[in-house]
Amino acid sequence: MTHRTLRRSLLATAVLLASLPGLSHARCNTLVNTKPGQINIVSNAFPALDHIGKEMESCTMGGLKVQFKQVPSPQNEVEILQAFGSSGKSAFDAAVVSMGTFTKLQSAGQIQPITDLVNKYKAKYNIEDNMLVKVNGEVMAVAFMQNAQNLFYRKDLFDKHGIKVPTTYAEMMTAAKTLKEKEPSIEFPIAQTFSKGWDSATEFSNIFAGFGGRFFKPGSAAPDFNSDAGVKALETMKAMTAYMTPNYLASNSDDVMNQYQQGKAAMGVLWASRAARMDDPKASKIVGKMEFTAAPAAVAGGKSATHLWWEGVVIPKNLGGDRETVFQVLMEALDEETTRKGNDLAVWVRSSFKPTRFASGVAASAKAGAPQWPSEPYFGLAHGEIGKVIPDVMTGAMSPKAALDAAAAAYAKAATEKGFLK
Amino acid sequence: MRLSTVLRFVGPSAGLMLLLLALPLAVTFYLSVRNCAVQIETVTVTESSPFGTKEVVTQRAVLGPDGRPVTTCRFVGLEYFRKVLGVDTQGSTSPDASGSSAATNHASTEFQGALRFTLLYTFVTTPFVLLLGFALALGVNHVAQRWRPLYISASLLPFIITPVVGALAIKWLFRDNGLVPYFLSQFGVSLFWMAQAWSARLLIILYGIWHVVPFAFIVLYAGLQSVPQDSLEAARIDGANAWQRLIYVTLPHLAPLFIFITLIHLMDAYRVFEPVVVLTRGAFTTSVQYLTYYILLQEINPYKASAAAVLTTAGISVLLIPLLVRTWREHRRTG
Repeated sequence: MTHRTLRRSLLATAVLLASLPGLSHARCNTLVNTKPGQINIVSNAFPALDHIGKEMESCTMGGLKVQFKQVPSPQNEVEILQAFGSSGKSAFDAAVVSMGTFTKLQSAGQIQPITDLVNKYKAKYNIEDNMLVKVNGEVMAVAFMQNAQNLFYRKDLFDKHGIKVPTTYAEMMTAAKTLKEKEPSIEFPIAQTFSKGWDSATEFSNIFAGFGGRFFKPGSAAPDFNSDAGVKALETMKAMTAYMTPNYLASNSDDVMNQYQQGKAAMGVLWASRAARMDDPKASKIVGKMEFTAAPAAVAGGKSATHLWWEGVVIPKNLGGDRETVFQVLMEALDEETTRKGNDLAVWVRSSFKPTRFASGVAASAKAGAPQWPSEPYFGLAHGEIGKVIPDVMTGAMSPKAALDAAAAAYAKAATEKGFLK
Repeated sequence: MRLSTVLRFVGPSAGLMLLLLALPLAVTFYLSVRNCAVQIETVTVTESSPFGTKEVVTQRAVLGPDGRPVTTCRFVGLEYFRKVLGVDTQGSTSPDASGSSAATNHASTEFQGALRFTLLYTFVTTPFVLLLGFALALGVNHVAQRWRPLYISASLLPFIITPVVGALAIKWLFRDNGLVPYFLSQFGVSLFWMAQAWSARLLIILYGIWHVVPFAFIVLYAGLQSVPQDSLEAARIDGANAWQRLIYVTLPHLAPLFIFITLIHLMDAYRVFEPVVVLTRGAFTTSVQYLTYYILLQEINPYKASAAAVLTTAGISVLLIPLLVRTWREHRRTG
């Protein structure tokens, strides 16, 4: 390269770099009463949130800078609870939270109501009533997407072997047996998130609810999950492991997604937020072959054994920044354009969302009676203790009843320490 | 020397050590003997969400006049230490006495299991780190001068990579359809690494060795540069072969470095965390540090987590005692 061409290309690069901010679209150019500075937002990490994060970070008008920090679940919750619960100012000006985290923050009184801001900006950002999460009439969060674990299944293989789409876990295991025997490409037909801790506890919660189980005694925080329904749920999970990769104790959402994408597993219940990735030609060998429907029921004729979740944004009570600016930045990034551009990435709450086949599983699960994720503030404690003992049951080191009794007793102690149980 | 002069010289570093080492430890200990709980009230609230509106009975924090939750703190002594260790004998505080003993048993096996794996990891990785690091250092020392920078940078890579990223890369190599299981299957070996205790543990130990060997390497390589050439030459003239020169000249010269690496690695290894979270999520391989994290994550109880953290620190101190005693003696002898 001659000296001149080098100088030219450097100049061209400089011009290109200088013009980049200008290339981003006119997000945030109509904000009012803003205070310049940096806004820190924390969030979980999955495709739809990557999309929202990019929208938020493009809000650079008027001396604003948005830092969108993505922390994979469940570590994100630790960061959020610590920031919102700190005695000083919160390290984050807002957080993208799921229902589970919202419940904990709300019960601890750490979220600030935003009813006034919603009313002020309702028309400008077309904030729909359906998006508002209210407690006693006060808006505490603005929800933008729904999520649920629903059934993923390889339609091509099911058609090839004449298998009916399972509506119960028993049918799912029959289908798995057929595939294991007849389909040479599939050694382990079922893939689900059975990894120790949060993932397997969530699977348990889904199936347990499907068996009609009750986590707590009515009107109290006393544990009630060490019941027959609990034993049945664990027995179902153990039976499923016969059709899963022996690595199931380490399988999280990423691993399960990978097993589907590589064509190594043919069915399972997984987060709807992973559905669109099945058709990503860069990562998937099964483009167009995966279909989605309601999560199977635990008992024939029962409700879909899964839970409905929403994801939304909240502002901490101990906010350090300017609340009106923070609120506007959030609403800018959750506007109709974001929904339109990321239509396939999530089941958006906005009415302008055009449901795709990726969203069909959530809708079908809801239609089949899937309940909302439990909102008791002490549920997380029970969930945590259950997640610890599940591997021992799966490997046969503990009986289901003994494991659940141990989890219930450990939960009772933790709940007493936190003041939920007297 | 006058006392004020001594203080002026020693003061800044003593102050820094107090601030950065002693203070956090003291605060952690202070937290571990307390429990602050938010005052809870049972209320009926109307909740609206994208899934509709309903009335629920729930529990929530009582808010004070400043809008912040009212918390009450009390001194709990060593209660949390007993709980983490699983030697809690106050079963009567639990509403269900029979279940309480089950919980205690589980807590104790949980802690014992974590401690057992942590110690296994620590003691198995340490000799391999030293041996392989030394072998690598000797190897690079014999490479032609012009190629050395390349070899050194390549060898340091595993140490430079962020632990979580490194662990993820290793996980992808070993999970279903990963490169390693595929390669093994070509020889008819079907192995699921996260499926049983021995292989899950081996995987984390392999990761640990891979990640820390470069540290031992770079320290020992630097040490090799300072081996006195005249001693080596004298040994050669006296008829010592390469092996004898290594054993009687090089190794004694490097001995303090071996101790230094062991010291640092014991401290690091006892706090093994990232590979546990990333590779196995704690299945078969709970570590002491992971327990602390899980208490913080699932129980959201910083006080109990502090007790676990203090116990971890105590564990490290116990491990380090023999080495520290040795170093102390060495100093007295040479100083």
